[in-house]
Amino acid sequence: MSFNKKDEDDAGIVKVDRTSVFQEARVFNTSPISPRKCRILLTKIALLLFTGESFPTNEATSLFFGISKLFQNKDASLRQMVYLIIKELSKEAEDVIMVTSSIMKDTAAVGTGELYRANAIRALCRIIDASTVGAIERNIKTAIVDKNPSVSSAALVSSYHLLPIARDIVRRWQSETQEAASSNKSGGSLMSGFMGQHAHMAATSTNYMTQYHAIGLLYQMRSHDRMALVKMVQQYSAAGVVKSPAARVMLVRLAAKLAEDEPSGLRKPMMKLLDDWLRDKSEMVNFEAAKAICSMPDLTDAEVGQAIHVLQLFLTSPRAVTKFAAIRILHQFASFKPDAVRQCNPDIEALISNTNRSIATFAITTLLKTGNEASVDRLMKQISTFMSDITDEFKVTVVEAIRTLCLKFPSKQAGMLQFLSGVLRDEGGYEFKRSVVESIFDLIKFVPESKEDALAHLCEFIEDCEFTKLAVRILHLLGLEGPRTAQPTKYIRYIYNRVVLENAIVRAAAVTALAKFGVGQKDPDVKSSVEVLLRRCLDDMDDEVRDRAALNLRLMKDKDDEEVGKFVRNDSMFSLPILEDQLAHYVNGSSAEAFAKPFDFSNVPVVTREQSLAEDRTKKLTTATPTLKAPTISGPKKAEAGAAAADAARDSAAASQKYAQALAAIPEFKDFGPLLKSSGVVELTESETEYVVSAVKHLFRGHIVLQFDVKNTIADYVLTDVGVVSTPSAGEDGEEASGLDDGFFIPIPALKAEEPGTVYVYFQRPAGETFTAASFTNVLKFTIKEIDPTTNEPEESGYEDEYQVEDLELTGADYILPAFAGNFSSIWESLDGADEAEETLQLSAARSIQEAVELLVKQLAMQPLEGTEVSLSTSTHALKLFGRSVAGGKVAGNVRMAYSAKSGVTVKVEVRSEEEGLAALVVGAVA
Amino acid sequence: MAPGMFKRIYNFLMSLFWSKELDVTMIGLQNAGKTSLLRVLAGGEFTIDSIPTVGFNMKRVQQGHVTLKCWDIGGQPRFRTMWERYCRGVNAIVFIVDSADREAIPVAKEELHDLLSKPSMEGIALLVLGNKSDIPDHLDVDQLIEQLNLKLIDHREVSCFGISAKEETNLDAVMKWLIARANK
Repeated sequence: MSFNKKDEDDAGIVKVDRTSVFQEARVFNTSPISPRKCRILLTKIALLLFTGESFPTNEATSLFFGISKLFQNKDASLRQMVYLIIKELSKEAEDVIMVTSSIMKDTAAVGTGELYRANAIRALCRIIDASTVGAIERNIKTAIVDKNPSVSSAALVSSYHLLPIARDIVRRWQSETQEAASSNKSGGSLMSGFMGQHAHMAATSTNYMTQYHAIGLLYQMRSHDRMALVKMVQQYSAAGVVKSPAARVMLVRLAAKLAEDEPSGLRKPMMKLLDDWLRDKSEMVNFEAAKAICSMPDLTDAEVGQAIHVLQLFLTSPRAVTKFAAIRILHQFASFKPDAVRQCNPDIEALISNTNRSIATFAITTLLKTGNEASVDRLMKQISTFMSDITDEFKVTVVEAIRTLCLKFPSKQAGMLQFLSGVLRDEGGYEFKRSVVESIFDLIKFVPESKEDALAHLCEFIEDCEFTKLAVRILHLLGLEGPRTAQPTKYIRYIYNRVVLENAIVRAAAVTALAKFGVGQKDPDVKSSVEVLLRRCLDDMDDEVRDRAALNLRLMKDKDDEEVGKFVRNDSMFSLPILEDQLAHYVNGSSAEAFAKPFDFSNVPVVTREQSLAEDRTKKLTTATPTLKAPTISGPKKAEAGAAAADAARDSAAASQKYAQALAAIPEFKDFGPLLKSSGVVELTESETEYVVSAVKHLFRGHIVLQFDVKNTIADYVLTDVGVVSTPSAGEDGEEASGLDDGFFIPIPALKAEEPGTVYVYFQRPAGETFTAASFTNVLKFTIKEIDPTTNEPEESGYEDEYQVEDLELTGADYILPAFAGNFSSIWESLDGADEAEETLQLSAARSIQEAVELLVKQLAMQPLEGTEVSLSTSTHALKLFGRSVAGGKVAGNVRMAYSAKSGVTVKVEVRSEEEGLAALVVGAVA
Repeated sequence: MAPGMFKRIYNFLMSLFWSKELDVTMIGLQNAGKTSLLRVLAGGEFTIDSIPTVGFNMKRVQQGHVTLKCWDIGGQPRFRTMWERYCRGVNAIVFIVDSADREAIPVAKEELHDLLSKPSMEGIALLVLGNKSDIPDHLDVDQLIEQLNLKLIDHREVSCFGISAKEETNLDAVMKWLIARANK
């Protein structure tokens, strides 16, 4: 606008500060008003507000009232500016309601007032309160159907913001909104106001933005009514009805959401619509539709085919941004279904050498995912040629992709290690080097065959490593892994070099690593040379290094190798996420007395290295699977499956910690000892019933606690003395009793509507038998009392009632925690002759091998080993599982499965367990 | 361009020699008839179905060389605390009461005296208008002075008229009184 240019000449604009602006606000009170001066001052206020300055409430309020005096002036651009500032100040200032009437008058302005009508409408929705929305109803309704698109848009957007505060009133504007949605007003540039949308509108003269706003509003109005939404999507999806591509994108998202929310009835029709949108004439809509289809759960190849085809066509587009968008979607989709993306490989290969590095990087990483084992080597070679041209950030992306690949194709480790060690020698910053080193660490941890070579590469790296942090980590790893290799002496030389050449921190780490070779060393030669080396360290100039050397020398002299070895190797450790959580709590304690007691380590569960590795690996694999989801229209309601899994991995530790705390607070459970395992949440009712019940199973050494979370969804009633009668019965195999005593329950005294409450039921675990399976029939018992509407108090008398919920199964899986091991077959062999059980059955719930794998991993609660959680073939697969029982015994499972279109997935489950009786229970868990 | 220029010069000269601007704030309890009165004063039609004012309305009334800037402030209780803000430094305060609503008079009296006792209100002329004189059972001027205790108000000019915005009775007197402020 013209005044912007004028202001640039004004020297004052450069040195704008809050106090002087506030002083200048006198200009609002002068008579007569000078529109030019006022506009300049308003621009300064805008500048301050938009550059992050904020006015304190009292200043904002007096500015606001000063500005409200400007309503008398007829200058249209001054009035526009006034509205802009009012919108911003309304967040801070008090009593903003005062200008309501004045703005209301402007929302119906005609003539020159037409110019600031849209601004007035937008400002109005910021300052109005719920009780006055009714008064502006007529104005807004007229504005919605106004022939001027920017007025109409402003009214629609304002209604959108008013909806939460005055739902009932705004809902009455549906027919107007519908009219706006189907009208074909092109977004004119009559008033390019100050808002972003407006500026955009001015740029493209015909984009039908009003339709976008109208459809957004209609969706919000009908969000509670699924049938209405379906009707709306179908009505507007017809060709040519909605001209705005942005509005069609919105419809795409809406259709995708509907299909996801109600897969049974809506998936088919919505998928058909999405397919049509793939052929839309706007690229934006094509992409959105392809993205929506790709993120649909449980996709079949037929469903996704068309979308992939469209994306493939875009890959050859001359425009870089189109190529980028397409390859990005394919890249993410390749994480779930590499097979489906494979047909695009020729086109993707062409992008590898694209001059746009973002496209090239995505192309390579996509190929890495879709490629079979054979193509991996070739790709690695290709990458190495261009690694030097890309920035560290992209290098990290590539390295991450390779890291996941290592875990997926353990047999390819040699080539990948070659690559990793190659890039390790390249130039690069800390972040990049760290990701490479961590990838190599993962290789060592999870792919045992690579250990020797990987260690050698790391040794070479620390010879010339500028990052102290990395050197320390590598030295630690050498200390851990080195002594167990065939030729430990090889590493000792590298480590001692560090002692000679490095700074004090690295020297200290090196001493500790060195000592690990000496303590518990069977070979006397090695032991004595380590001792010599350590002795030399006693003369070091750094205290820490000397102390560590002295301590370790003392440990080496100890005769009891077994004991010392355990100390040095440190096999079981604290569960790190929980330790971190508790320490953070402790450190953040507000009062001084929080520190009066020392930190209590007994609350931190100790896990074995295997368990922590298992968690670590799951997390790495799942977080490396990026999510693919448009920002959902109704806020982040449903996280995408991949993210959910990653969250679950992170949260599971925190959740069991939370349960442990809650249970420890209940006096009845004080002497049960530590919580061994908590199961996931099991829903025992549908989510729409009168009483919603879900359960969690907690396992203690001598007891089982069932936690029932009950929610009463009937308003106007209170439930008192809520209890659950859980009756255990034996499993199907006809044992007489499950061995569980009758349960005692801790009731909820009173449960109001919509307030969750918890009933605990506890049982004694039978003394002799370690593991029992049982099925609990659960009946909710309570006294129901009506709430007196006048007093809001429950009435005196009520009647007793019962409510049957679904049964809860206690299975073998509830006794098992996932654990990791590098090599499955050695474990399987070692359990030969132990307790064993097997069963062959059909999984009716799974429609593909991959689904069956996910289902079984969840049901058996064990850790998949050797990358078997990813099925490479669609017809047969072998899943290898490992875990430990709560008592500590090893449990291994070997599942073979076959898929045929006729009979679905057939699985043969074999389980071996160290402890008697567990294997059969675990097998029984698969049903 | 050119006619606009002339007009501006003309306006400038006018403002230099003759024209006067007056700030007038109109307050009073809700439903006293402030918005309706202002509309009629500005030459509009009387309407029976006006909605309660949320915040304030602003209108200019031109009479000869004098421009009255009239601020009509909402009378609902939540806006009464803000009267003072809009009464500060004005040339005259017009306090409007519904002379047919006898029950509201004590509240009006209290609000009026409350406002005028504030230091920032010192010396500002006050015009009290008993609106709705067309309704049969209304209070006349003497009763209003009595019941609003106007005798108690000193150190400022105080007048009290009975008017009807609906029938447009006695509005000339109001205008005359307001314009007289311009010559003070």
